[in-house]
Amino acid sequence: MRKIIFSTVFVMIAAVAAIVPVFAKDRTTMTDEHIEHIKANCRVALATLGRIHANDAPQYINSNQIYFSVGDKLMARLNSRLTLNQYDASDLVKTTSDYDEALKKFRMIYKAYDDTMSELVRMDCQRTPVTFYDRVAVAREQRAVVHDTVVELQELIAQYREQVEEFKEKHFTGASDE
Amino acid sequence: MNEPNDQHEQIAHIPWYRHRLLHLVIGSVTIAFLLVLVAMALYASSGSAQLDLSRPGFKSVQDKVDATVFESFPASGEVNAEVLDEFLELYDKQTKRVDSTDAFSENALKNEALGIDAP
Repeated sequence: MRKIIFSTVFVMIAAVAAIVPVFAKDRTTMTDEHIEHIKANCRVALATLGRIHANDAPQYINSNQIYFSVGDKLMARLNSRLTLNQYDASDLVKTTSDYDEALKKFRMIYKAYDDTMSELVRMDCQRTPVTFYDRVAVAREQRAVVHDTVVELQELIAQYREQVEEFKEKHFTGASDE
Repeated sequence: MNEPNDQHEQIAHIPWYRHRLLHLVIGSVTIAFLLVLVAMALYASSGSAQLDLSRPGFKSVQDKVDATVFESFPASGEVNAEVLDEFLELYDKQTKRVDSTDAFSENALKNEALGIDAP
């Protein structure tokens, strides 16, 4: 009985000892000089972050509104009109579906980024400079992903336009030449 | 003839009956509080918060929201080259408003830009 208890305790301690260094590695190791530099520039950094966060909001609202309207009031309506006139618009429908998925991803990713920024602007970087530095790195990565989804949406918008041009070439330009 | 009074006397000794007004107030406030928690959770999780410029810190940028009406394309009607040209003209006009691949560039959050880089 004693052996079982001792072995269980030993396994638990070994498991904890194996996990702790992994968590310890996640924290950024910084020099004291760097930490003091962060504390010295804390107010300026927070002010800059606050401005970025405030300017991001209308940019997101305007972009979200236009992207949604492009998909709903332009792409979906043309697809519907083509289908009602019994044209094969499967390529256009596929692109519209990809566009809708990309838009959902944009909203989801921006939400996560906005939550991180909201947390950052409320943080006390004087008391927790290392945590502040790490959270800025996370916000930067999330902002990069938001940027990538914006690029993806722009590419799908361009792709849809090309497909409409091809559709027009295929069904109407040839007919007018005959 | 005395039946209603007898019934009242029978239940008058029950504790919750004696303090029913207090229980009504506490119950109403508790339900209202729970519903507020549900509403706030929905507000935070649904993405509505990101569209709300009445939050603290966003008052200065409320006038930057574009209120232009989005012109839409009719979903029914004939299809010909002219209609497709009209569509493309409308499409280019509307998509030009978001032609900004520099939006949300990560450069704004670089350590050097914030002054928190290693000295």
